[in-house]
Amino acid sequence: MNVKQPFDPLTITRRHFLSSASLGLGGLALGTLLPRESRAAAHAPGGILGAPHLPAKAKRVIYLFQSGGPAQQDLFDYKPLLNEKNGEQLPAHVRGGQRLTGMSVNQASIPLAGSVFKFDQHGRCGAWLTDLLPRTAEIADDLCFIKGMFTEAINHDPAITFFQTGSQVAGRPSMGSWVSYGLGSMNENLPAFVVLVTKGKGDQPLYARLWGNGFLDSKYQGVKFAAGKDPVFYLTNPEGISPAGRRAVLDTLNALNRVQYERELDPEITSRMAQYEMAYRMQTSVPEVTDFSREPKGVLNMYGPDVHRPGTFAANCLLARRLAERGVRFIQLYHQGWDQHGDLPRAIRVQARETDQPSAALVCDLKQRGMLDDTLVIWGGEFGRTSYSQGKLTKDDYGRDHHPRCFTVWLAGAGVKAGLTYGQTDAYGYNIADAHGQAINPDKSRFTPGAVHVHDLQATILHLLGIDHERLTFKFQGRQYRLTDVHGHVVRDVLA
Amino acid sequence: MGRQRHLWLAILVIVSAGVALPSPAAAAPKTAKVDYNFQIRPLLADRCFLCHGPDPKKRKARLRLDTPDGARKAGVIVPGKPEKSEVIRRITARDRDHMPPRKSKLSLSKDEIELIRRWVAQGAEYKPHWAFLPLPDVVPVPTVSDERWPASPLDSFVLERLESEGLKPSPPASREDWIRRVTFDLTGLPPAPAAVEAFLADRSPRAFEKVVDRLLASPHFGERMAQDWLDVARYADSFGYQADGDTQVWPWRDWVTGAFNDNLPYERFLTWQLAGDLLPRATRRQRLATAFCRLNRMTNEGGSIPEEFRNEYVSDRIHTFGTALMGLTIECARCHDHKYDPMTQKDYYGLGAFFNSIDEWGTYDNSHFRPTPTLLLPTPEQERVLAAHAKVVEAAEARLRQVEQVRENAFRAWLARADLKPELPGLVGYYPLDKLAANNRLENVANPKAPGSTSPANTLVPGKAGRALRFTGDDAANFPNVLGNLDRPQPFTVSFWLQTPRVMKHGIVFHRQSGTDTGFHGTELSFDEGRLLVALVRFWPGNAIAVRTRAALPAKEWVHVAASYDGTGKAAGLRIYLRGEPAQATVVRDRLTKNTEAGDTGLTFGERFRSTGLKGALLDEVRVFDRALTAIEAAQLHDGRALADALLRKDEAVLRPYYFGAVDPEAAKARDQLRQARQRLFAVQTGVFEIMTMEDLPRRRQAYILTRGQYDAPKDRPVGRVTPAMLPAFPKDAPRNRLGLARWLTEPRQPLTARVAVNRLWQMFFARGIVATTENFGTQGALPTHPELLDWLARDFVSSGWDVKGLCRKIVLSSTYRQRSAATPQLRDRDSDNLLLARGPSRRLSAEMLRDAALAAGCMLVETIGGPPARPYQPPGLWKEQNAFLPPYVPDKGEGLHRRSLYTFWRRTSPPPNMLTFDVPSREVCVVRRQSTSTPLQPLVLLNDPQFVEAARGLAERMLRDGGATLKERLVFAFRLGATRRPTERELQLLKQLYKGQRDLFRKSPERAQKYLRIGERPPALGLDPVDLAAATVTANAILNLDAAVMIR
Repeated sequence: MNVKQPFDPLTITRRHFLSSASLGLGGLALGTLLPRESRAAAHAPGGILGAPHLPAKAKRVIYLFQSGGPAQQDLFDYKPLLNEKNGEQLPAHVRGGQRLTGMSVNQASIPLAGSVFKFDQHGRCGAWLTDLLPRTAEIADDLCFIKGMFTEAINHDPAITFFQTGSQVAGRPSMGSWVSYGLGSMNENLPAFVVLVTKGKGDQPLYARLWGNGFLDSKYQGVKFAAGKDPVFYLTNPEGISPAGRRAVLDTLNALNRVQYERELDPEITSRMAQYEMAYRMQTSVPEVTDFSREPKGVLNMYGPDVHRPGTFAANCLLARRLAERGVRFIQLYHQGWDQHGDLPRAIRVQARETDQPSAALVCDLKQRGMLDDTLVIWGGEFGRTSYSQGKLTKDDYGRDHHPRCFTVWLAGAGVKAGLTYGQTDAYGYNIADAHGQAINPDKSRFTPGAVHVHDLQATILHLLGIDHERLTFKFQGRQYRLTDVHGHVVRDVLA
Repeated sequence: MGRQRHLWLAILVIVSAGVALPSPAAAAPKTAKVDYNFQIRPLLADRCFLCHGPDPKKRKARLRLDTPDGARKAGVIVPGKPEKSEVIRRITARDRDHMPPRKSKLSLSKDEIELIRRWVAQGAEYKPHWAFLPLPDVVPVPTVSDERWPASPLDSFVLERLESEGLKPSPPASREDWIRRVTFDLTGLPPAPAAVEAFLADRSPRAFEKVVDRLLASPHFGERMAQDWLDVARYADSFGYQADGDTQVWPWRDWVTGAFNDNLPYERFLTWQLAGDLLPRATRRQRLATAFCRLNRMTNEGGSIPEEFRNEYVSDRIHTFGTALMGLTIECARCHDHKYDPMTQKDYYGLGAFFNSIDEWGTYDNSHFRPTPTLLLPTPEQERVLAAHAKVVEAAEARLRQVEQVRENAFRAWLARADLKPELPGLVGYYPLDKLAANNRLENVANPKAPGSTSPANTLVPGKAGRALRFTGDDAANFPNVLGNLDRPQPFTVSFWLQTPRVMKHGIVFHRQSGTDTGFHGTELSFDEGRLLVALVRFWPGNAIAVRTRAALPAKEWVHVAASYDGTGKAAGLRIYLRGEPAQATVVRDRLTKNTEAGDTGLTFGERFRSTGLKGALLDEVRVFDRALTAIEAAQLHDGRALADALLRKDEAVLRPYYFGAVDPEAAKARDQLRQARQRLFAVQTGVFEIMTMEDLPRRRQAYILTRGQYDAPKDRPVGRVTPAMLPAFPKDAPRNRLGLARWLTEPRQPLTARVAVNRLWQMFFARGIVATTENFGTQGALPTHPELLDWLARDFVSSGWDVKGLCRKIVLSSTYRQRSAATPQLRDRDSDNLLLARGPSRRLSAEMLRDAALAAGCMLVETIGGPPARPYQPPGLWKEQNAFLPPYVPDKGEGLHRRSLYTFWRRTSPPPNMLTFDVPSREVCVVRRQSTSTPLQPLVLLNDPQFVEAARGLAERMLRDGGATLKERLVFAFRLGATRRPTERELQLLKQLYKGQRDLFRKSPERAQKYLRIGERPPALGLDPVDLAAATVTANAILNLDAAVMIR
């Protein structure tokens, strides 16, 4: 790949450094790159691309991942027919021979289940939402609803891995890793890619691979921030070590490593010294960013009462905004608990209560600060849910199984057409439909208007960041890999 | 090869590694012969083959440039005549004909175009890719000017290259640096101070060899070698995927360690792992080795389709085989012919066919029930107990047979009686299913205290006798507390009338099972393509007994069914009676090595979690017995008179089994003793450690090419077990199985196996392989920096009998390895990545070495070899936070905290963060090369992780106690433990300052010292001043953070 080698001592690697040296920076690197200088040079950001391929609309991404697969029929996708035909069997022609999971494929009965929630149109755009999402409804005009999302996997692990890494197979870099590999960091005190998981949710598991670097350098790994004393693993000085004591250790290490450098002339030594300084700065910058005590009351209220409890989705949304302000490039939130195979009406209420207000508040907050113009916010899960009930359908109870054929995701912010509802499903909410409402079976290899494959969404996210998804590649095992594999189309219809 | 050498020397290679020596085009003189493999192919592969290469689907203009036949067609390339060659015209064209097309964003430089032109002018000679050429029988060692330098032939290759570049090797490393380097490289641990002293004092000519031989004989050698092999083998202690259950495969890890320590020849090392089970009279160790092929991830996520995942596992084995053993990336060929390498989809599935014929299932429910096939690993004590119990069972069986002989008179006396009644003893449950009592209860006539019940959705309708229960298919009827859990030692008979509305393809009749749709274990009677199947299952299909009727059960009529089992644990003990007659049946599986451990009690009819139920079927007159009924009894249940008639007729032949099975009290006693004996034997068997291994099915499973790799899209044509066509043919006399495959792989002229192996070993010592892309020797991989050295090493390795220790010994005793690693500025400019090896290797310690070295320096490393995984410190709550299915992480107490990192519990979905930070792969897939990054998270681990703080305290205690009287002596002592060398005056000065400064700080707030010293489970040493100890701990921690401690130089 013919790309400019960035110069970024914050996240420098051995290979990286040597490549720079070979490009003529060697003299500089050997002669002058000592800690103080490298600190100054750290202001130069840089990813592998040097400059974006395209004019970037988004500088950063906040991805509100709703893990488990939220039921579109109870949140966004208004299907009165399901309520009319509540209890009737899913017609074979609607199912179209599509495979079901092993959880409901053996059911003797697969009755259609209408939603018990009330749908209404909201905003000037008239977007449909249920009363589960009153706050989201208020900002409907800022959102772009993609109703025709589809994916390939039908089980959580492969599906979420596919969404976050572009492949169901383990070992590929995650979206955030690709982005920080391509565009680099925008700050010198915090990682470029941060992961926030709602605390104590349980339900469908998350895996380190979802924010893993795959075959990219581990410096592109997402750094998980946890609620509590040590927001980043091992961030805090051990008990008994004062800041002054630590500073003295670092100064001594610097001086000793300088002696070693004179002996070995190995630039890896200076590179490592820069890492110690960055680690030291993170010890201050991370507690600063996770400390909400100086947030105005009005802002805190906007996110709702949960914001005061670290690790809640509300607190993570506010933290995401603070990270975004400080130049973190990719902020990945995970909120588990959307996997409602049974007991849906009760369980989804809990989910909605936890996420509705904070998600809307984040968008408003960014907007107020003028940051929504260059921040892309994404809300959605790894697949949708079935229009038929898994398990028993009763008057006020039902469940829904996994459904990869259609589901809803919303986008907001940088470069996205606000107030747009894009694509639709058939009257049963079971298939993506064309403009006439006729069920279609889209193929990922070519773009069908209204139908957005996972790779299409990924291509679009990269596009908004100024990246041509076909050109952000990494050669591994003799092949050029990319986030979108060999597929993906930028969904131009949703671009502002 | 001799002639070629000069060519290779002229070419400064490095194409794919992206490193920085002058390009081949620029370096070679204009008249030199252009080499296809090293100069032309890399260019064409990179710029042209995507559209004009091996993949017919992507091929444009029906032109391929990767074969001479393709290229010489229609004047595309005219050998010797560039001016007549269309290729030259196209790559120099300025108009629309220009190649590569502008929109491809690829281009050729002027020098590259000139190189191609010259190659065509010289005759456009094609050659097979270098790595696919057979390994030469002899590789001549070059002569060099400085004959004193080479200590081994391998040095001559390196030196010749250096001399041709006008370079000289670096001087030898200091003895301290060398012993540090070699000790880490061969054992993964720092040298002990005494070993360093002894070596420094040893002026004998064999001093170096003595060190190496000692290290190679150390049991830690096997641990160190295992470390890299675990990455290759994607070893982990959990399955990965969703709920991520524990794999329990650590005995295989210990096998690896032992194999390296025993210096098992590499050829056998591979053969055992691929096919140990197929070796003649395979030993337990050989079978155990095959767990290698089972280390793929496995899922237990609800709803997963087993066949989809089973195919994933086969694919994973193919990828691992390709990457690890052949250095080939063959993943691409899963969906289509490889675009760059001559590897077809057929080659891919042909390889897969060797690995798909085991009795496995695509999902598991709970790894307590090990996915089959498996091997049992009893301890010697268990073997003794098992043998003893088996003898007791045999004796009890003999006793039962004996009773039947000695009690013939009793039988005759009984038969002579006039008052015989058709009694069926052992009835523990009888459910007429005629009325529904309160709470949906179903009456149990045999035991009114243990009634059954049904979901109210099932209804009572007119039946065979009175009323019958009609099932919805999604709702169950339960008959609890009648017969325990129907586990392996428990005989039973269940009889009933059944009427189905249609021929049932699938459907559960009754079961006593636990589990989910990803795997049930326990006893069941179910429909399988219309036929009835009765089974006791521990893990389906490999650990189960099952028989199935030959004929389908007719629909829309009442049929009497009885299923019985005799408690033997054998398929022969299972019977199905239809209409009172033993049904013709086939044995489906006959291997149950442990109890089914179904848990709970009683029977459930008509429904099972996420399974097809008995929709619309009618059930009536359910009877449950606690013994296997005899045939006449089954007939009696069907017609209500067969036994009565036989009694009237005094039918001896029919009644003798009945008498001994149902009537004779002595036989009943003997049978009960046998049951108890079996119960004891089975219980011990169930406690034996079980591990997943390979074992082929008696009939091979047919493999197919799968369209786009999808499990449900097989192409029509089956694929046999075949090896890639571009590599040497499969040996004619070898069996077409994994054993034959292993033989093919380790044939002495196999181009890849030995090259790949020595390259990976070289990488272990030099941080970079001779081929930098250790994982890819294909056309897209890097070219070797020292091709002839690679071939010499490979040939020598094979000739030595694949002697791994021998090869390690050669490398570490070579002059190349012994060089100083420090670079002069000139050398660094000239060859920053040390491709030419004009200096010694240097690299950061691996994650494992860093932790182990700190523990060793702190004198707290527990050196026990092998055993179950250890659980050292880890941030609290880590597992649970991400995955509610996981148990909480509970760190070990005592030894487990301080064992070598090799043994740290490896959870694929949540690996230990302090190791992940130092580039350990997640072990989800095969990885043969680790990255080496430096990130800010690394200093946080080394400075703040309790493990490192505690280890530093250990070092501080040593330094205060044993380090000498003065501060200087103590600092020198600690420095030497961390860095293996003495500090310079300047370094000492800085450390002194640090120590004193820290002491002052702690003196001002002694409570801080107390807190700091309490980190870690091990209590601080008594009798040391806390302020001194805290200051020394900070200083020791700083020493362990130094470049000199973190790096091997």
